[in-house]
Amino acid sequence: MSKSFSPEQEKLRKIVIEFARQEINPGISERDREGVFSQELWQKCAEMRLLALPFPEKYGGDGFDFETTVSVFSALGYASKDSGLVHAMITQVLCGIQLLHFGSEKQKLDLLPDLAGGKQIYAQAITESESGSNALHMKTSAIRNDNGYLINGAKTMISNGPIADQIILFAITDPNKKVLGGITSFILPSDTQGYSTGKPLDKLGLRTLKNGELFFDDCQVGEDAVLGREGQGAILFNESMEWERTLIPACLLGEMERIVEVCTAYAKERKAFGQSIGNFQAVSHKIAAMKMNLELGKLSLYNSAQLKDAGKRATLETSITKLFISESLKQACLDAIQIHGGYGYTKEYEIERDLRDSLASTIYSGTSEMQANIIARIIGL
Amino acid sequence: MDTRVFIHNFIFDELLRGACDTPLNDDEDLIESGVIDSLGIMSLLIFIEEHFSIKISPDDLVPENFSSINTITMLVNRQINN
Repeated sequence: MSKSFSPEQEKLRKIVIEFARQEINPGISERDREGVFSQELWQKCAEMRLLALPFPEKYGGDGFDFETTVSVFSALGYASKDSGLVHAMITQVLCGIQLLHFGSEKQKLDLLPDLAGGKQIYAQAITESESGSNALHMKTSAIRNDNGYLINGAKTMISNGPIADQIILFAITDPNKKVLGGITSFILPSDTQGYSTGKPLDKLGLRTLKNGELFFDDCQVGEDAVLGREGQGAILFNESMEWERTLIPACLLGEMERIVEVCTAYAKERKAFGQSIGNFQAVSHKIAAMKMNLELGKLSLYNSAQLKDAGKRATLETSITKLFISESLKQACLDAIQIHGGYGYTKEYEIERDLRDSLASTIYSGTSEMQANIIARIIGL
Repeated sequence: MDTRVFIHNFIFDELLRGACDTPLNDDEDLIESGVIDSLGIMSLLIFIEEHFSIKISPDDLVPENFSSINTITMLVNRQINN
């Protein structure tokens, strides 16, 4: 039942797993405690070409298909204990995918090489303080003037926001229109006058990922800052979610694979009442459920990735993938703590960090409730 | 059944779902009237791409192409002929 990878994918995954264990994992407890995003590790990941995977060579990428990109990020999620750094990388790649599909040729040539090479950090700014799940009901405006657009407003919770060099920003360009047609996306450099950031948010998990508020106070951008076309923002957002709801679960699935391995090893090794705790069904059934969800998650994940590679629409499939894998990971982490007992609650065993990191996965990129809404809507309910 | 009828029936049956008793006007603005919203457009895209075996490119994914039954029909016919 296990997913079979091509020899090239196997090779890439092996390299990434070794890299993550040797380079990323040392020092993670301290970085997690202090909430440190490591610029040095970001550069190492960029040098490993992890940010370049899905982009054509003419734009500075390595030209791999999406399934291969997904398989590599799943391997990264498996081996890397720094889920915040991995999330920062996914954010970067997803911004690049938006640029690749909706950017002008000039935007792609100008921006993608530095994105793929990690020289510039990207953030995608949608969420506002009064619009979470209803993400497109925003207040940030971009009013047309003689020089392009004047942007005013604020965004919050933005991944990579406090450290970003470029922001893909969604704003209202026509308040008289509905969401479809009234929103436009822009590429805004962080040195734009009037742009500022708040302090990074102090969070329960994903502590090495920098999230924060972004402020736009009379930010003037030219017409060439528009990504796609004026009024296309909502559609662009919907389109990009299909890629996001595949790439994010890829990393989550990798984390789940690690949790299954850790729990299986512990259940064999740990003795109670004169035998391994894995002999008790109260323990073994929990791990069996994790394994079942892991394998089912793989089927869903690679189905979504293959649909995207085939140029197919995958709104339903990617929402199922995101909902199933994120909820499965969260449950697996809770069960892992229970299986490890008191040790699982300590920092030493590192499972508590996995649990903290997993909790956000059913919230970001559309909550589980929103995924269920999408699934229901697509099947005609 | 021609393209226009298929599109009309899908919007009437799947997006309006009984919320309207009278047939839709082919020129009616479906976005401004709220018939097609940000989720509805995804359902519509899934339908037209599967039913007509076409792929709508990012360049064509603009609200103007989905504003009425007429514009959607023109977009689909254009893709079929391509």
